[in-house]
Order: sequence, then structure tokens, then C-alpha cells
Amino acid sequence: MSKLKLALYWAASCGGCEIAQLLIGDKILKLAEAADIVFWPVAIDAKYKDVEAMPDKSIDVCLFNGAIRTSEQEHLAKMLREKSRVMIAYGACASEGGIPGLANLFNRQTIFDRVYLETQSTDNKEKVVPQTKYKVPEGELTIPEFYDTVRTLAQTVDVDYTIPGCPPEAKTTWLALEALIEGKLPPRGTVITHNAKAVCDDCPRKRDVKKIKKFYRTFEIIPDPEICLLEQGLLCAGIATRGGCGAPCPQANMPCTGCYGPVDGVVDQGAHFLSGVASVIDSNDPSEIDKIIADIHDPVGTFYRYSLPDSLLRRARTK
Amino acid sequence: MSLLKKMMSQLGIEDERLRLDWVSASEAERFAQIVNEMTEQLRKLGPFSPGNGGGNV
Repeated sequence: MSKLKLALYWAASCGGCEIAQLLIGDKILKLAEAADIVFWPVAIDAKYKDVEAMPDKSIDVCLFNGAIRTSEQEHLAKMLREKSRVMIAYGACASEGGIPGLANLFNRQTIFDRVYLETQSTDNKEKVVPQTKYKVPEGELTIPEFYDTVRTLAQTVDVDYTIPGCPPEAKTTWLALEALIEGKLPPRGTVITHNAKAVCDDCPRKRDVKKIKKFYRTFEIIPDPEICLLEQGLLCAGIATRGGCGAPCPQANMPCTGCYGPVDGVVDQGAHFLSGVASVIDSNDPSEIDKIIADIHDPVGTFYRYSLPDSLLRRARTK
Repeated sequence: MSLLKKMMSQLGIEDERLRLDWVSASEAERFAQIVNEMTEQLRKLGPFSPGNGGGNV
């Protein structure tokens, strides 16, 4: 049997997905038996022009991590889509926008102002901000354009499968790679995970009645290790998040932050999470309710931590 | 409701675009009045578009 041709790419991401891919451990040897890696910027010195020179659909599978926020990332997404038979969105950023997607609360101007001019540690007397073109004696230098809005991979090109997580758990990665190697891929469009139900389904904590009078941030309390974290007033996203990860965060006394994306059938993860939280607030008195929700300091960052670009709104309206 | 409004303000959506009210089945006039008020309010605000975040949205 001829070997599979595999490409891996990173766009707007942190590099954690590459580490997650290596976390499959010695199974990487099985992968190496079955597949040749033809493009992987983090580890292999292949150039963009090498990919450009490949015939269309000559790559069997592309694992693409990271969101799309620059013209370079958009170009690579489109090129790799043309060259690959199967395109997989790997990780939360490619799937839903991820943490970089929270930049959709701002736009290029406000981000550049903050990063290059305003932060306390910035020393930029000439007020230099990135330009896509700049003339120097040696010629013209160019850098990619930075977009106002972060997009998901599926908002940029057709995506065949999604592997969720920030980063994906090793067992989730292997579930997908094993299916690839054995040629037993699920129906196109599948989000590959062990459990399509909510994280609560994986979570061993005891659940009783959820009635919340006060919300806490994680540093404010040490939660009981056996009782549901949401019942203890921590904003645990498990109720609105796809399972399959095995609930490692709640088992380490940390609330789920929602990285595996929405449960099957839900379009907008943040709205789902918000309505779940609103329904456990134990009060009918408007002023008391206002006091309770005053402890939720950053609703968008809490409810849409990984999914703002993939939400119904996609971004905030900015002036 | 107040949690939703708090989140809407972060997303740049005007407060006036969301209203919760209760009307009994026997209060036809009140129902019509609320719908008219809401319609008028939205007409003043114009269509909502997240699309004014700059050039390349």
C-alpha cells in the first residue's frame, strides 16, 4: 500500500496544537509507517512554493490548526484546500476561532493602537505601526495584511472534518488519525470525538440541584472536589460543551472553559452557555439578580471564550 | 435578561434592541401598543450590522 501524504499547517494559533499532535506518543511511529509528512512548517523545512508546485489533490490529508486573521493565512488555507483531498480543522482556533477569535471584540485599528502605541511597556516614539508595504534602499518589503475580523477555517474554505479542543486531547487526535490510517473515516462533516454529549456526561462530579446565589472566579474559592463546580458558583462550561475530552479540567478542580465547542445540534455555544447559567440563578428579584451577575465580569470572554467567530454574530460591532 | 443585556453591550448591540414584556391574551390594545413602540424604536436605530469594524470585515 502506498503511503498517505500528510500536511500540517498553523495559522493564528499558539503552537499548542503542534505539541498536542506529538502527545500521541509512540503512536507517532505508527503514523510514520502509514504516512509521509510533506509539509509541516514547525518541523520540516518545506517552502510555500514547494506546496504550490504540488498537483491539486495530491496531499491526502491536511491537518490545519489556527484561525484566519491575515492574508497569508487565508492564502495558505486556500492553497492547502486545493492541494488536499481531505481538509481537517484541527483544534479550537481552526474550528471556532479560539482565543485569537476574541479579537473580534475589537478591530485592526484598536488592536494596533493598543499593541503598538498604548501598552505601558511600549516604547515607540516614532509611532511605527505595521505597514503591508515599505520601501527600503534594497527594494520593497511586504508583510501580510492583518484583517479586522478573525475567521474560522470553515468560513474561509470547505472543511471535511473537525477535531475539537484547545488543544485536542491525544486520544481525540489518535481517534482521527487511526480512522485516517485505516481508511475508515466517518461521514463528511463529522466532529471527531469520543462523546458527542456534553462534558458533564464525562464528569464524575456529583450533581444535585443547581441554585446559585453567588458566582466566583476560580481564584476566589477552593471548590469541593466532589460536587458539580457550577453548583458551587464557578462558571463551568461543561453544560454547553461537547465531551470526549474525558473532563480533565473539572477533575483537576478547574471549571471547563468550553474548548471542545458546542454540543451536537447547538449552533451558538455562548448563547447556550449563557441561557444555562441564567436558568440556575436563584432569585426573582431584579436588584438581587443584578448583584449576582455583577460577579460575571466578562460575559463574552466567559461564554464565547473559544467560539466568538463561529457564533451567530461572529464579531462585536465597533465604531 | 440583565445578563444578556450586559453581554450585548460588550458586543456593541444597543440596549433598545431587546425588550421583555408581559401581555395577557385579553390586552389586545396593550399588545399592539408594545409592538408599535418596539417597531418605531428599531426603525429609529436602523438595521443592525456588525459590518462597520473597518475596511476588511
